[in-house]
Order: sequence, then C-alpha cells, then structure tokens
Amino acid sequence: MQSIFRTNRLLTSYWLAFACAVLFAASAAAAEVPLFKLVARDGVFEPAVIEVPAGQRVRIEISNEGKTPMEFESRDLKQEKVIPAGGKATVTINAMKAGEYRFFDDFHEKTGRGRLVAK
Amino acid sequence: MGNALFIVWRESAEAMLVVGILYAWLKHRPDAATGMRFLWGGVAAGAGLALVLALVMLGIASTLSGNGLDYFQLAIMLVASALIVQMVFWMRRHGRTFKKDLEANMARNARAANWWGLLIVVALAVGRETAETVVFLYGLGAEKGGIANLPVVLVLGLAAAFATFWLLQQGSRILSWRLFFRVSEILLLLLAGALLVSGIEKLIALDVVPALVDPVWNTSRLLDDSGRLGGLIASFTGYRSRPALLPLLALAAYWIVVCLLLNRSGRAAAAPASAPAKPASPVEGLPRAGRN
Repeated sequence: MQSIFRTNRLLTSYWLAFACAVLFAASAAAAEVPLFKLVARDGVFEPAVIEVPAGQRVRIEISNEGKTPMEFESRDLKQEKVIPAGGKATVTINAMKAGEYRFFDDFHEKTGRGRLVAK
Repeated sequence: MGNALFIVWRESAEAMLVVGILYAWLKHRPDAATGMRFLWGGVAAGAGLALVLALVMLGIASTLSGNGLDYFQLAIMLVASALIVQMVFWMRRHGRTFKKDLEANMARNARAANWWGLLIVVALAVGRETAETVVFLYGLGAEKGGIANLPVVLVLGLAAAFATFWLLQQGSRILSWRLFFRVSEILLLLLAGALLVSGIEKLIALDVVPALVDPVWNTSRLLDDSGRLGGLIASFTGYRSRPALLPLLALAAYWIVVCLLLNRSGRAAAAPASAPAKPASPVEGLPRAGRN
C-alpha cells in the first residue's frame, strides 16, 4: 500500500508543478496583435504563402469557403484546428524567429499545403 | 482514396492500441469477464464522446463557443496522458498482487475503482481521435462523388484498424507474455508522452504558456514530422522535427519521472516476500514473521 501512495505522490507533484507553471505564464499580458487572413477552399490555401513579421505574435483568421470541413494543422506552428465548411476560426501564433513555417490541411493532405514566412 | 484510408487508420490506431493492449491483458486475468464489461463500456462511452465532439466541431451543436472546444480537447489530452501512465503502473501492481488481493475485501473495493479508471482511459482514447475521423468522413461524404466512396473507405479503414487489433492479439500469443507486456508498457508510455507534448503545444497555441525558445533545433532533414512516417511517429512518441523548448522540457521531465517510477516499481517486484503489501497487524512495528 505504501508504495502505491508514494507512486501517486510523485505523479501528483509532477502535475502540480506543471499547473503552477501554467498559472505563472497565464499572467503574462496580451498586446495588440496583427491579423492576417487565409482562405481555405477544399484543399487549396489562398494565399499559399503568408509573410508575417518575425519576433512578434500574429493572428491568422482562416475562413473555410470550401464545401468540406478542413483541419488547419501545423507542427511547426503548434496548431491543430478543425473548421467546418463555411466556418471561420482565428489562431494566435507566438513570436517566431525569422524563417519558414509550414502548415497543411490535414483533411486534404495532398494539395492543402502552405507556408508562413517570418521576416 | 488511399489518403483517406490512411487517415482513418491513423486516427483509429491510437484507440486500437489502448483497447488492444488492455484486451490482451484482460484475457490473461482470471477476472476477465468483469474487466471486459468495463472495456467495452469504455468503447461505447468513447463512441458517444466522439459523436458529441464531432457535432461540436462541425458547428452543429455550438455549446462550446470560441476556444471552449480547444480547452476541452486540451483537458482530454492531459487527463488521458496522466491516466495512461497510472494505468501502466496499475497493471504492473495488479498483475503482481492479484492473488493476494482476492483475499482482501479492501483491495476489492480499490479494484472496482480502478475498473472505472480503465473505462475512462478507453473512452478518452476512443473518443479523442475518432471525433476527427467522423468529421473527416462527413467531409468526404460532402465532396463531389464522395458519397460513393464513403462506405468503401469506412469499411476498409475499419478493417485496417481491426487488423491492428488482431496483430496485437497475435503478438500476445506469439511473444512471451513478459515480452509482450514489456513492449505494451513502452508503447503506452510513449503515447502518454506524445499526448503530453500535444497538450503543451495546445497550451502554447492558446497562449497560456510561452514556448520559451521556438524552435530549439531543426531535424526535418532527418525525419520530417509533417510527412507521413514522421507524422505517425510524432503522434505516437511526441517527436518533433522543430520542437519548442517548453514541450521538450516537459517531455524530459515526464521521462525522468516515469523512469524513477519504473525503477521503484521494479525494486518492489524484486523483493515481494520481504515487504508485505498490506499490514497484517493493526499495530505498526509488531513482528510479522512466519506469515507467508
């Protein structure tokens, strides 16, 4: 029995520490964030390349104007969002180093690919 | 078509992994009948959860507005991650002390509580990814000429998923039980770590926590996580070709804690006779010799 409690205590402290880190970070204030628009149409992104400022947070508004749902996904940008046909969603992207970041439509993997270029 | 099939298989593989491993494990238990009820109950609950999530994603049921769905998915990821770890250690303990447990009433209650834990793990594993499959298939049905393809993709995708399940059951028969269980543990712990990484990345995306440094390095030339194989490895291990620092730290902390727990649980297994699990005497410190 004792070993069970010890096991749980270690696990609990891990999650507690994690929760503290979350709360601490949440206190950081949000500033004015530029907005960029992106249209998805059944596996086609418009524009396929978006230029954004580096070192600054940006927001991207994705409108799904296609007839099918899409999933805006990017491991480079840590994003994953399902958007139904005719739906809209805005994602916030944290300050990036200059460089290229890929995103794709997970439901139209072959054609739905685009890039975010931070300069 | 092949692409759609791959997506259906990939999305259901996680659920199949959890359900398949638990199924094989339960088969080896004398109380399999009870466990199976909870296992299939979890699958049913997961299917229900998937359907509700899919309706919310499609905007048909808009009970969760704005980022509500994101926070809900985040909670599912983190809870599933913690529960899978707990499940692995519970399976270890349960396997070891089962015969002794049967004789103790108190332990029987504890076991009932853990069956519910099993049900929740299964429901979350099934519900989480299946919701996206439902939305995806819905989209496929909405495409031109997609209706004709839909039943084919559905049947073949499910067949591929059940092949995964069947393979796991064969593995439990062909491999020695010890080896199968060891491999299962590693797969489940990897999956829990991957869920933790996805959860932290969701927190970063929701701007709750900072990424710290992003990206720390770039290994997309070696293995690209946006590709098919890399993407699969990413969703089952937490691999990232351009990881941010915070998820990286979280994954490192996760594996340190898991290794410590494994080490501890391994030591407890090595000396079971010298340290009885339940106090046989109401007074601490009384000698318990000769009670084996």
